[in-house]
Amino acid sequence: MNVLIVEDEVNLAHEIASFLRKEHFLVEIATTGTEASEKIAVNLYDFVLLDLGLPDYEGLDLLGEARKSGHEAAFIIITARGEVEQKIKGLDLGADDYIAKPFSLHELSARMNAVARRKFGLNSGNVALGEFTLDILARKVWHNNRAVDLTKKQFDLLHYLTINKNKALSRVQLYEHIWGNLLGDEYDSNFIDVHIKNLRKKLAEHAPVDWLETVRGIGYRVIIEQT
Amino acid sequence: MKLRYKLAVYNLFTKGVFVAIFLLLIPWLLERLNVYQTDLELIEQREEIMEAISVFGAEELLFGMQPESSLTFNFLQQEYISLVRADSDSLVNFIEISPQLVDGEIVDYRVLVYSFRVDGITYLLEIGKSLERIYRTEQNIRNITLVMLGLFVVIAFLTDTSMTRLLTQPLAGITQKLKNTKNPGQYDHNPVATTTSDFVYLDQTISDLMHQIEDLFAKEKEITSNISHELLTPVSVVQSRLENLIEEEGLSDKHIEKISDSLRTLHRLKGIINSLLLIARVENKQFLKTDAFWINELIAELLEELGPIAQEKGIKIVAKIENNHYLTAANRSLIFTLFFNILNNAVKFSEPENRGAVEVESQKINNDFVVRITDHGPGMTPEQAGEIFQRFRKRKSSNGHGLGLAIAKRIADFHNIDIRIDTQQGKGSTFWLIFKHFDV
Repeated sequence: MNVLIVEDEVNLAHEIASFLRKEHFLVEIATTGTEASEKIAVNLYDFVLLDLGLPDYEGLDLLGEARKSGHEAAFIIITARGEVEQKIKGLDLGADDYIAKPFSLHELSARMNAVARRKFGLNSGNVALGEFTLDILARKVWHNNRAVDLTKKQFDLLHYLTINKNKALSRVQLYEHIWGNLLGDEYDSNFIDVHIKNLRKKLAEHAPVDWLETVRGIGYRVIIEQT
Repeated sequence: MKLRYKLAVYNLFTKGVFVAIFLLLIPWLLERLNVYQTDLELIEQREEIMEAISVFGAEELLFGMQPESSLTFNFLQQEYISLVRADSDSLVNFIEISPQLVDGEIVDYRVLVYSFRVDGITYLLEIGKSLERIYRTEQNIRNITLVMLGLFVVIAFLTDTSMTRLLTQPLAGITQKLKNTKNPGQYDHNPVATTTSDFVYLDQTISDLMHQIEDLFAKEKEITSNISHELLTPVSVVQSRLENLIEEEGLSDKHIEKISDSLRTLHRLKGIINSLLLIARVENKQFLKTDAFWINELIAELLEELGPIAQEKGIKIVAKIENNHYLTAANRSLIFTLFFNILNNAVKFSEPENRGAVEVESQKINNDFVVRITDHGPGMTPEQAGEIFQRFRKRKSSNGHGLGLAIAKRIADFHNIDIRIDTQQGKGSTFWLIFKHFDV
């Protein structure tokens, strides 16, 4: 899939690009609004990651332009402005999602996955985790056609690890995904460990959970055999 | 005590003291005055008699007074005059009070005693004036004065209080304006109607100060917001770089661990920045209050999240939710954060060996809906409790960055929820969340 990163902070643009390329995206970068405007007019992108704080352009105008010309790209707005009004305005103008700086690349990738699933109907099937099936749409985990009783947060954790399959996610990354940045007073907490422990306990009542690994010094990983 | 009541009490007191002194002095004064007046009259009469003697001769006068008596009373027995030949040759001249028997009653007389010699014979002249009438007059004057002074005190008190009330009206207006002001932004800058220059000056000065404070607050918020905001992009760059780095092939475990540590530190920095930004945004009212929800559902959700964490520590969260409350015009995610931070704080400071339970209770008290969150942790000193809602004031043994309760306080203010703390060292703390004037 084609991605255009519109971000005036060159270093950040390159880091995002480097990450997405590993995820097999085709990535282009525009560091000014004018450049982005030209690129959007000429090319067809599946994703536009749009930073609102551009020096030469009102970021949301770019979104308006694209929508007017019938551009079908999924817009994910990146901004350091956390203000609610901006968010609402962006979503009103047809942005598909919104991510506030500073964000984790894994969070970005999860958001892009979710948008892709919604917008392009991709990845909408179920994911097999050992003997379990993770149903993304119904937000349920099944074992032999029986739903495993998980709390909202437990499902979110498992879902996030599944999206980032075969990658070790740190506790911090998991924490940020689950609790966002709103709470943020628990940088050293064992919240994630407790939730994972309970998650494992619940799953283990049905079948082995060896596919959910603890990675020493980092955090956790869901192993899915590539087929 | 209000100024005008103090003034009224002061007025009443000074007048009372004045009146009391006056009442104490009056009998003495009156007596002195009367005696003085009587003595003058007695001396005048003596002069008249002496003049008569020099014209008619003492013996003639003496003869004229007899045979009835040497004592001549006027018909009301108010006065008497006596002239007799003296027994001794010594001359006397004095005025004294001496009781006399009149009609079987002893009556005080002021008596002038005067002896003189005419033609080798010594005469003794006595002129007496009854003091009875004077005493009665004194009594009447005292009574009238008492009534007059009483009336004077009452009238003066009434006029004084209404006058001071009128005069201090603008001051009451200023006080009321200050009472209505919870933060400088709410201050009513309309001037108080008054012609008293002191009050005009006071009103103007307070108004100016409020503007200044408001400006300073605004600036402080802006600076916090700007600094935090400007930090977000560089932090984002570092985080992305570290996340890319940690996934590179061929890194040693040691390197992975170090990068992981750096990410954790970065997460801490992000937590502080985001918390400061959150505080600034709540203070600037940049959140919508459009959600409506049942508090109990929110508490249930909270318990689902924090229950396992507490359990892991060996701490039980006991919920006694007696009343439900439907909150409207609120921001659910902020309210959740508020409850989360306070309950999390309670769990954090609870020790399993020391009655390891945290109680969450909801209750209707009068018209208010109240949620109490109680821990049996170490508690706080009053000083600590007073500072706990300030930024970066953390309690010992806390591993947070000291912003959780600052955030909670701002969110509560934003929603007009009162937060109060009952705490005692060694006994634990209770946080009260008071949703005011809600019908439960």
